[in-house]
Amino acid sequence: MLENYFPVLVFILVGLAFGVAPIVMGRLIAPHRPDSEKLSPFECGFEPFEDARMKFDVRYYLLAILFIIFDLEIAFLLPWATILREIAGTESLRLFGFFEMFVFLGILVIGYIWVWKKGALDWE
Amino acid sequence: MEFKTFVFYLLATVMVFAALRVVTVRNPVHAALFLVLTFFNAAGIWLLLQAEFLAIVLVMVYVGAVMVLFLFVVMMLDINIDRLREGFWSYLPVGAVVGVIMLAEMVLVLSGPYFGLDAMPEPPAAQAGYSNTRELGRVLYTEYVYPFELASLVLLVAMVAAVALTLRKRTGSRHLDPAQQIAVKRADRIALVSMPAEKE
Amino acid sequence: MEALLEPIASLFGAAWPAVWTLAKIVAIIAPLMIAVAYLTYFERKIIGYMQVRIGPNRVGPLGLLQPIADGVKLLLKEVLVPSATSKGLFILGPILAIAPSLAAWAVVPFWDGGVLADVDAGLLFILAITSLEVYGVIIAGWASNSKYPFLGTMRAAAQMVSYELAMGFALICVLMISASLNLSEIVRVQGQGQFADMGLGFLSWNWLPLFPMFVVYLISGIAETNRAPFDVVEGESEIVAGHMVEYSGMTFALFFLAEYANMWLVSILTSILFLGGWLSPVGFLPDGFHWLAIKTSMVVLMFLWARATFPRFRYDHIMRLGWKVFLPVTLFWVLVVAVWIMSPLSIWN
Repeated sequence: MLENYFPVLVFILVGLAFGVAPIVMGRLIAPHRPDSEKLSPFECGFEPFEDARMKFDVRYYLLAILFIIFDLEIAFLLPWATILREIAGTESLRLFGFFEMFVFLGILVIGYIWVWKKGALDWE
Repeated sequence: MEFKTFVFYLLATVMVFAALRVVTVRNPVHAALFLVLTFFNAAGIWLLLQAEFLAIVLVMVYVGAVMVLFLFVVMMLDINIDRLREGFWSYLPVGAVVGVIMLAEMVLVLSGPYFGLDAMPEPPAAQAGYSNTRELGRVLYTEYVYPFELASLVLLVAMVAAVALTLRKRTGSRHLDPAQQIAVKRADRIALVSMPAEKE
Repeated sequence: MEALLEPIASLFGAAWPAVWTLAKIVAIIAPLMIAVAYLTYFERKIIGYMQVRIGPNRVGPLGLLQPIADGVKLLLKEVLVPSATSKGLFILGPILAIAPSLAAWAVVPFWDGGVLADVDAGLLFILAITSLEVYGVIIAGWASNSKYPFLGTMRAAAQMVSYELAMGFALICVLMISASLNLSEIVRVQGQGQFADMGLGFLSWNWLPLFPMFVVYLISGIAETNRAPFDVVEGESEIVAGHMVEYSGMTFALFFLAEYANMWLVSILTSILFLGGWLSPVGFLPDGFHWLAIKTSMVVLMFLWARATFPRFRYDHIMRLGWKVFLPVTLFWVLVVAVWIMSPLSIWN
């Protein structure tokens, strides 16, 4: 199994190198004549008058938390989905393997409906 | 040295270094990014332990989702570093106690009979057609079915708590419900009135 | 082949596996980069024709040298690092944008057995590595320390994670049918079934039983790559180029390459997961890489067509589509497929 992942490791390293190389090349080949006007942040023709990093709507955090929860749900579904056909073929496990996942999903769907009703998914 | 051992030491070194940087760098965004690097190396080490599914899920869930939230928070919350440092000395005793307890627990667990090469033999070499994910599924959905169902309850609680803690209705928003916009009928917007032509 | 490589292999000694892997990686990346370069050309050409224009036609015959001219131009432009930025992260942003969009290709099968890393958890690997793409955007936007990138980043990050969920649930459906995370195996399963036996292979591919998921995956793919009509991230009329505003020269080029490489990636994955990969649509024609190339090009054409056709979505509509339409639909279809597999009507045994 591990020998299969060796190319993946190499590929990730090559990917990073592929990102570094053009920047280095650009630095070497292209002109480099910075001045203070050129290096100022992009704005509509005036000096920026405050730090751009400001507080943000809490909605984005809520969205990120909901994303984590559903992402975990996907992680739990993955092994189940891979053995579903096997479960369907085994008489003793058939209904058990089927319903346990739907209890799991059912509980989360209740949460999803509640979140929806609360209006947490509305984007105003 | 075998190549696998070399990779292990490489990953372990980077991981320990990154973990140290998480607690030593001053900028919280850099700290969060070093934590990402730590998770990434941890995933690599899990992969070396043949835990294929867990290793990749670690990247998917922790790096792909949890750390995105962390970054959102530290990037957008405008954390004032000086204010954070103010309480350092008053929090130190509490922090030290927690640290010592954790250290003691780690020593107890790791020095017990559960670890070591004789307690944890190398997993048998995988046969053709072996699938880590499938094996995990077979165990998780039969033997560990109750913890599995409990996990969904934990997630439900997390969902409810997140919404209860952070959801605020905005006032003065000019939001229009798209469903209503789409469902609008001609009759809602326009009324045709028949008026007889007026004669002078 | 093996015998031919023997003398070269002995030349490198123990380092041979690494060298051979590198050679294969170059054999994947080089054509990919050519495909990316010419995708920019075809995009301008095709959208041009759709809008009754000619598109680029000055550089070289039919404008065919245009992408190369663009590349050279970007290479000769100054790499600016604005003074307000966090320097290190500003450079790291584009690197983290391109690296995952290339690394994902490690597990993509091009023909039967033609895959660099035949890992068992291929689909999972794809899910994990594409979830890293959001980092390039977040880091670039934050490091720029400027308002347009910041707003663009928030939008992009929220949009990308939302559509990742829909994609994830759509992939669960594929997984239930194929019972394997291995991408080659997923293609092979699509080559079995009644229709395939009758010589009508294209009816046994996943797009038919999973049609709603196919549509969801395709649309989510467009949203995930931040392409029109979901490109509020870089809506020129409101926030200029989003997280890329402060970038110039090669740092900008990397974002550009990553975006187009991602388009190819989503297209080839759609072809593999739903359109039977390298399988031939009819029984009397041989399978092979050419089928995958044709299918992938067709899906990419859909991307361009969508860009030429639809006006940009409003941001709250995008979020609504992801969370309130795609998520319930995919959840429901997981149920449908599960019941289908359990029932005697199952077509996958």
